[in-house]
This record gives sequence, C-alpha cells and structure tokens, in this order.
Amino acid sequence: MTAELKGARVLVVEDEFLVASVIEDMLESAGCVVSGPMPRVADALKAMDHESYDAAILDVNLAGDRVDAVAEALSRRNVPFMFVTGYAAGSLPVGFAERPRLSKPFKLADLLDTLSSIVKTPLPRSAPLE
Amino acid sequence: MAPTLPIVGIGASAGGVEALEQLLRSVPADNGLAFVVVTHLPPNRESMLADILGRATPMPVVDAKDGEKVEAEHVYILPPSAILTIEQGRLRLRHTGPADRERAPIDVFFNSLAEDQGEHAIGVVLSGGGHDGTLGIKAIKENGGLTIAQGANVSRPRFVEMPLSAVAGGFVDLELPVEDIPQRIVAYVRNWGAFDPEKPGDVLANIHRLLRSRTGHDFSDYKERTFQRRVQRRMQVVQTTKLEEYAERLQKDAEEVHALFRDLLIGVTDFFRDAAAFQALETSVIPKLFEGKGADDEVRVWVAGCSTGEEAYSIAILLREQCEKLVTPPKVQIFATDIDETAMGIARAARYPANVIKEVSPERLRRFFSQEAGTYRVIKELRDMCIFSTHSVIRDPPFSRLDLISCRNLLIYLKPTLQAQIVPLFHYSLRPGGFLFLGSSENLSRYGELFAALDRKNRIFRRRDLISRPPLPLRQFLPNARREPGTEDGQNAFLQRSDTVRKLAATVVERFAPTFVIVDEAGQTLFFSSGTGKYLQPAAGPPNRDIVAMARPGLRADLRAALHRAKETGERVVRERIAVQINGGLQMISLAVERVLEGNETAYGIVFTDRGPIRSDEDVAGASRPVGEGEDATVRQIEKELQETKERLQSTIEELETANEEFRSSNEELLSVNEELQSTNEELETSKEELQSVNEELQTVNNELSIKIDELDRANADLNNLFQSTQVATIFLDRNLLIRSFTPAVTKLFNLIPNDRGRPLTDIVSRIDYPDLEHDMRRVCRGAEVTERSVKVSGGNGHYLARILPYRTPNNEIDGVLLTFVDISNIIAAEEQQKVLAAELSHRVKNTLAVVSSIAERSLPNDAAKAELLGRFHALGHTHDLLSQTGWIEAPLREIVSTELAPYAGGGRVNAAMNGPSVMLKPQAALLLALVFHELATNAAKYGALSTPEGRVEVAWTIAGDRPSRLELTWREHGGPPIDGFPTRGFGTELIERGIRFELQGEAKLDAVDGGLQCRIVIPADAQFIVFGSPPERPTTEEAAS
Repeated sequence: MTAELKGARVLVVEDEFLVASVIEDMLESAGCVVSGPMPRVADALKAMDHESYDAAILDVNLAGDRVDAVAEALSRRNVPFMFVTGYAAGSLPVGFAERPRLSKPFKLADLLDTLSSIVKTPLPRSAPLE
Repeated sequence: MAPTLPIVGIGASAGGVEALEQLLRSVPADNGLAFVVVTHLPPNRESMLADILGRATPMPVVDAKDGEKVEAEHVYILPPSAILTIEQGRLRLRHTGPADRERAPIDVFFNSLAEDQGEHAIGVVLSGGGHDGTLGIKAIKENGGLTIAQGANVSRPRFVEMPLSAVAGGFVDLELPVEDIPQRIVAYVRNWGAFDPEKPGDVLANIHRLLRSRTGHDFSDYKERTFQRRVQRRMQVVQTTKLEEYAERLQKDAEEVHALFRDLLIGVTDFFRDAAAFQALETSVIPKLFEGKGADDEVRVWVAGCSTGEEAYSIAILLREQCEKLVTPPKVQIFATDIDETAMGIARAARYPANVIKEVSPERLRRFFSQEAGTYRVIKELRDMCIFSTHSVIRDPPFSRLDLISCRNLLIYLKPTLQAQIVPLFHYSLRPGGFLFLGSSENLSRYGELFAALDRKNRIFRRRDLISRPPLPLRQFLPNARREPGTEDGQNAFLQRSDTVRKLAATVVERFAPTFVIVDEAGQTLFFSSGTGKYLQPAAGPPNRDIVAMARPGLRADLRAALHRAKETGERVVRERIAVQINGGLQMISLAVERVLEGNETAYGIVFTDRGPIRSDEDVAGASRPVGEGEDATVRQIEKELQETKERLQSTIEELETANEEFRSSNEELLSVNEELQSTNEELETSKEELQSVNEELQTVNNELSIKIDELDRANADLNNLFQSTQVATIFLDRNLLIRSFTPAVTKLFNLIPNDRGRPLTDIVSRIDYPDLEHDMRRVCRGAEVTERSVKVSGGNGHYLARILPYRTPNNEIDGVLLTFVDISNIIAAEEQQKVLAAELSHRVKNTLAVVSSIAERSLPNDAAKAELLGRFHALGHTHDLLSQTGWIEAPLREIVSTELAPYAGGGRVNAAMNGPSVMLKPQAALLLALVFHELATNAAKYGALSTPEGRVEVAWTIAGDRPSRLELTWREHGGPPIDGFPTRGFGTELIERGIRFELQGEAKLDAVDGGLQCRIVIPADAQFIVFGSPPERPTTEEAAS
C-alpha cells in the first residue's frame, strides 16, 4: 500500500518542531522525499515556486498564520494535500472542507494510509478561489 | 478736462445695510466710480459689514486704511472706532477711543470730501435716524458737488429721518429710490466736460433775463465764471447736455428756476460769513449795543433765518468778547429763528464738522469750542445765550426792543411785497437807534426813511427814529386781519398807513367837534358829520342833496344867505341866534360857513353850534340874552363834556397800564420758564442723541444677530436630529449637576420625562447600580479626567460602560458634565464566557497531560527511557502551570529555568545561579525552552556539572542589540567532569540545535568551554515569542531556592 509513496515528493508544513520531526521521520521511513518541514506560510509558498510536489501535508494553524494561502496555491497546481490539525473540523480553510484530515496525535499507519490515498486518487475539484 | 475720479460718499445708519446692499447690487459694471461708505457702528465690535456688502457686488469691498489712495470700482468702508477724512484723493483714518467718540462721522467725511474734491464730490444719504449727514450734504452742494438722498416714495428707507433732514434743508439735488441712484450718478459723471455751447453768451444772457423777471433779482453782477458753473451743474443734475435745451426748460419749469436761483445764491456756509462784514460789525456796532447798559440791563439780538445756527453763534462770540471787556456787563439774549425745525435741532446741538470752522481764529476756537473727535461743539456759555425757535417772520409776531437784528440772506428770497411788510416790522422791533445787519446781496434802498445806512458796503443799517408817519404794522397780526393783497408799488402801503392815520384823526375830530356839513360850490352836500339830523331833514320828493332844501324850518333863510355871503367874500360868515325848529321846541344855534380849499377843489364847511338848551317857542320869542351868557353856557357845556372825556381817557389809560404790568410780569415768568425749558431741552437733546446713536447701534447689532440666530437655528436642528438618531444614552448636566437635556435612549436606564429638565439627576430613579455616580460627577466637574466605569443594571443582567466627561465651553471652561452609557452587556458576557472556557481548557489540558503521564507510567517498563519520558512530561506540565497563571498568555523565563534547575538544588548546595532581566515567553516558546532547559539540566545531572557536588551551573541572559534586539542566553557548566567532545546527538541535541532554529528562528550552539558544557542560545526579538520586560530591570544574582 505504501508503494506509491516511494520517492514521492511531499511538502510538509508544520510549526511544532517535535511533531514536524516525527512526521518527517515517518515519511522518510516510507521512502518519501520530504521538503521541509516548513514552519511558515511564506517559506512554503516560496518553496512551491521552485519545486513541484506529489503531495503535501498541512498543519492548519501555523504560528498564528492560517494555511489557506498554501492550500490555494497547491490546489491551483493540482497538488493533492491533506490536513493535520489540532482544531475542530469547523476551522479548516474555506473551500477545502472535504479534503482528508487527521487529528493530532495520529498514528504512523493512519498518516501513511491517508497520504497514499490522496497520492493515487484523482483530485476533487476545488471551488475556484478568488 | 482731465479725467478725475468721481468719489461717491455714502452715509447710512439704521436700516442702512439693506439700502447699501440694494444700492451696490444696482451698480453697473465699468462704472468708473469709487465708493466710500460711512455708517454708525458701535465701537469695539467686529463688524461684518464688509463681508455682507462684499456679497452684493463684484467690486472689492474693503475696510478703509489710513493713507490708502482711492481707486475706481472699489468700495471702502469706515471701520468701527474711527473717523474718516480724505486728502488729495487719499483716505485718512483716525482711530477714536471711548472718550472721543464721533457722533457725526458722515458729516465729517462729507465735509472733507466737499473740500477735497469740490465739484467732483458726490454725496448720498440713505436710511437712518437723526440728522448726521445734513451739514455734510450742505457742504458738498455748496462746493458744487452732486447731492442725493434716498427717496421716501418707492423703495422706502426704513428710517427716513436722515434723508428727510437733508432734503428739508434744501440741500439735496435728487431724491431717488435707492436702485436708481448708481445709474443716475454714472449718467451725471458722463456729462462732465460736456458743457460746450455754440454761442454761450446769448443763451446765458437769456437766462439772466429769465431770472430777473421770475425772481426779481438781477444777477448781472454775478461773477461770469461762477454763473456758468452753476448753470452747468444744474444741467448735469437734470441731465441736459445742451445749453439751449436747458434755457428752454427754464422757460417752462418754475421749479427749475427756483432750483437754479438757490444754487446761485448759495455761498459757503461758515461762521463769520463775509469776514469783512463781521469785522465791521465788531468794530462799529457791537460796542454801541452795550453803551449805557449796566448789570440790570439787557442786550437783545434777533437773528432771523438763522438756519443751522452758525450766524447766531458768530454773533454770540462777538457779544461775549465785548462782555469780557466790561466791568459789569449786561445780560445778553439772542433769539435765533428759522422756519426749518430740523435746522433748529442742528443749531441747538451746536456741533459742526471741523472744516466748517475755517473762519474762526485759533484763539476763538480754543476759547469757545470744545473738540469732539471730528467735530467742534460750541461751549455751553454761548449756547445758553441763544434761544432757537421755529418762527416765521411773515406770520408770527416779531420780537421787540431789540438792539440788533441780523437777517442775512433771507430777504433776498422774498418778493418785494413781502419785503415791504418785513422791513417795517424790523423797524418796529428795534429800539430807537437799533441796528440791522443784512446779507451781502441785500439792500434797503427803498426804505430810506426807516433805516439809514451806517456802512453800506457791509450792509449795516441803523434805525431812524424821527419819521413823519410812524407805521403801525401790527394790524396784520390781529385775529381776523388778513394780509392785504399787495400791489406792485410799495409806496401804496405807506400811503395806506397814512390814510389810516387820517381816518383815526377824523374819528377823533368827529367825536369832539361840533356838527358840520361840507357842501360844494353848488350847495350840494359832500359830507355829513354825525348829529346833523337836528338841523337837517331829507326834503320830500326824490333824494335831494341841496343843503338849503334840507334845512329845517327857521334855518333855511339864514343858511342860504350865509352860504351866498361866504361864496362872495371867501371869508368866514357867522350868524348868531338862529332858532331852528325841531321836534319839541326850538334850538338856538349859531351858524358858521367857511370856504375850504383842497388842491383844486373848493368846498364850504357849515358848522352848527348849539347855544343853550332846547327851549319852547315862547321863551325864544321874547328873550333877548346877552351874547356872553349864552356863550358861557356853551363853553361850560363843552368844558363839561371835555372833563368827562378826560376822565374816561384817564381810566382807560389806567386800565391799559395795569394790563401792561400784567403782561410784563407774565413776560418775566415766561422768560424764566423759558430758561428752564431751554436747559431741559439741552438735556433732552443730548439724551435723544444718545438714544439715537444707541438705537442705530442696536439696529446694526440686531441685523448681525439675526444672521447669527439663523446659523444657531441650523446648528440646533442638527443637534436635535443627532440626539434623536443616537442610540447611546447621553445626559447633559450643568455645573450644579442639574439635568440640561438627554437623549431618548436614556429612558432605558433612568426614569426621565421631559419635565425633569432642571432637576438634579440624583433625584431620578435609575436602574443602574452606581453608588459613586454623584461623587464621580463632582470630581469630573472640578476638573478630574474623564472617568469610566463598568456598571451593572440593578437586579438585572445588563452591563453598561458609564463615562463621565467634562462639558467644556469654547473658552475651555468646565460648565457641566456629560454622562454616557454604552451597553456592553454582550461584551461582558463574552468576556465571562471566555474566562470560563479558558479555565476549562487549561484544566482539561492539564488533566490530559496527567492522564498521558499515567498511561506511560503504567504501560512502560521501568527503564531509563520511561524515566526520560516521564521527566519530559513533567517539564511540560510545569510549564503549563506557569502559563495558566497568566491565562495562557505568557510565562517568565526565569521561572522556567528555575523550575528545571529546582530538582538539583537541595541539601544546602549552591550550585546553580541565574542572572538576567525580566523576559516573558509566549506559550509556544515557553514550552519549547522548558524542554530545552529540561534536556540541559538532565544532561548536566548525568554527565555534567550537576553530577558532582563541586559542579556549578550558571545561566545568564541579556537583551542585546537594538531594533532588532535579541535574547542572548548562556548555560555554562563549571567544575563538572570534563567533556572531551560533544555529546552524541539525541533528542536533546536535536531539540536544542534544530528546534530553536525551527520554531523561534534562533540559534543554539553547544560547545565545550574549559572542560564544561556551554550552550549559547540567541533568539531574535519577535513579539510572537518573546516580550522583554520594560524597563530593563537591574540584573540580580539569584540563588537557587533551597
């Protein structure tokens, strides 16, 4: 099941160091190539200008920033992504409520499963953002 | 003619703003005129006049400035507390203080304008009270300028006194509605220099002839140039450009003739007019008036036609000066009269613009005048000498027993028939040897028997006392007497008076003389005296004038014979003892007949004289009396009658004398009443003037206030609307905390009704729980800062934010307070909820962490990993506690460090020290750094300084740099087992080196220094993570708590 993940380039956006380093370890253990983790929205957006990704994992609330801008940018580039969040469901970025999400704390297996699913399924159409 | 700027002076007062606006609005473009506006303004007040008028015209409207050159198509306005004059086309402004307020600024300016600009001056008088401007208009007209008054017919001036006074003085050329004035002035100015007739000489001669025939005055001696100029000026006023046309107009228009006549006669009004004549008066006449008079006597003078009083005061000055030369001077009384009541008012006020006083010498000016701003006022001493009253020389009885009559330039305006009435009147009024002083164009050549010329050149005459037929001109003043229609020949009047005398004489004669008849040569009766009925009776048959036919029986024969004899001899014929038959007896008479001649006429007087009483026939027949006896009886009879007559006369005389005495004492009383009235009058005049000027000022202020009121109404309306719309409950209170007003929203909190205005707020029931309200309001009223309090609704769930602000006037004085209530119930509720949630959350998080710790405790085997794990959980837990204390806002760095070092301080060992300023860490940074210090501490305890008693940890931090600043922290270990290299990488090193960079964008470096571990951490200042305490506290060395 995790075959798709081998060599997948994954962007990780997360501002808690320990959580980020664990995610990084998990993904690397599955063979992904991790970009980041990036604690800031600005850093993530800059990275996206230079590189392309197969998937992304987004923490919803970053050091006070909201991750909406990153979600929109990813959507425009048709990069599949999922949310990890400590918040209740109601506070996801607008227009992306139907994207997969995991609540923290989460198990390694769940993370990899969810990631696999978004890498291989075609992307739902997002609402155009303006 | 060189182009001269026409300067229009405009005077206005009460009601003037309106008139000025209308006038300026009607001024056409390119008019080429300059306007100077003088009004009566209250002093020390900003005037809005320039603004108001500026809106009425495109021409610039400015306040006049001293030295400013007057320019065309500009409007200059006199500012308050100043007077304005003009010199050589430049305005001169002089400021006045409260002590020397100018009451007649318009006169002052107009006079100055007349002098400076002469024929090019134009004066306009608009609506106003009082008579400021009249003297000034007079001056402009006399100097050849144009004068206009606002007419009272079409667009009425609101206050007609000022323009009417000018018109009444006869000094106004045109009376026009105010809208027509500018256009008229422009037309007038256009005609300047348009005087260029082809054959002026002929036309002018025509005009001379016309004047002579219509007015009786010959102007051929008048200066040619001046005559021409006056004619030219009239032409300009009536807007005629051709001289011939004007001559035609004169033919048809009697009013124009009169106007031209007046203009020709107008000289310059002055004190001591015709200085030479006054000089002559002073030297030849004045001293004589005082001759033989002591302190009980009086010098009486009458100035007839005194107009605005300059002449009367001039004479008063001369008289006063003479008085001062005498030891015991007599009293002096000057009666000054004129028919113009307005002029009398001006004369009584005795204020004259400065340049009217040209002929008064500086010494006299100093002695007899007091200066008031731009005018001079005659001093009280002189004013008291003069009594001004309205009086017509023609209709009213004259004064009497006068020493001097001054009547200058009055007679010249009157037809010769009127003059013929007045000159004898003057003769009557003067005491014997009195003087008459006339104007320079007048003479008395026709009245040589009444007045002798003392100084013909200066027109001084003296009364002739011995004249053959003293005239008694008083009959015209008797109640039913009408003025006899005058004939062209003045001599007739004279003869008439002689006739009267003759008649009176005749009456006397009739009463006392014997009965007589006058017959002509033919015996036809010409005249009967009274009482002839005794001797004559009408003959039977048709009326017959033959005297003989009319004689009674007994008389006829003697009469016929005597008449015949008288005719023949031409001598007196006397017949005695004629018995005339009358009813009841016989009357003995004597008869005398004598021829009388009158011019070419011959007549005969027949005199019948009674001799004795009527007797019966028998007595007469036999009697033969001696002639003497009969004659004695007649004489006795006459003497008796004479005596009776004398007695009657005597008693008549006595009655007359008594009546005279009464008149005299009435006169005395009247004079003294007059004195009192005069001084009351003076006071009233002054009061009136003050009232007038206050009135004018009030009018002006009123106008301005009206405008302000409109603005105020607008502002009030705005406020009201604002109040209605606002939802914030606001109450306005005055200094005594009484309610002034409140918005509708207040009624939610206080039981207020509109009638509660004026009551203290504390009287009103409120739903607010604010016991200190009154106290706080007083404090704010006294000057405290704005006070805010959160207050609750009593027994309810509402919360309001009460704010008390001082109510400041524009002068920044506190005049009350404003109280506002903003509903913050929702905010408070939210805050409460937030606190509850935060507490709940904090509790939950703590518990969850405890649970996680417990699970680890239970689930894991007891090994080093478990101990490490649990230690890290505990570090997190302690940090949570610290964060909870501030409601999860921040935690102090010092506390975090000391918490992690605390387990290793104990047993009296001093092996840890902290040093640094107050720094607060936000939750994320706090948690991360807590874990960092936990790792450093546990590492030190295992391998470093905290593993031996000699070891020591020093933690020091500072805030370095400035914008950006940064936290620099150093963890140093001393005295522990030496470390050779770096500790292996693990959770701790990862956390320290990568975590700090990752989360806080800082740097952390682990080194070995002197064999001890050193960790240097630098974190840039970022309000998201770190807040440096302010001001930087003095770093203290703290011992770790035992």
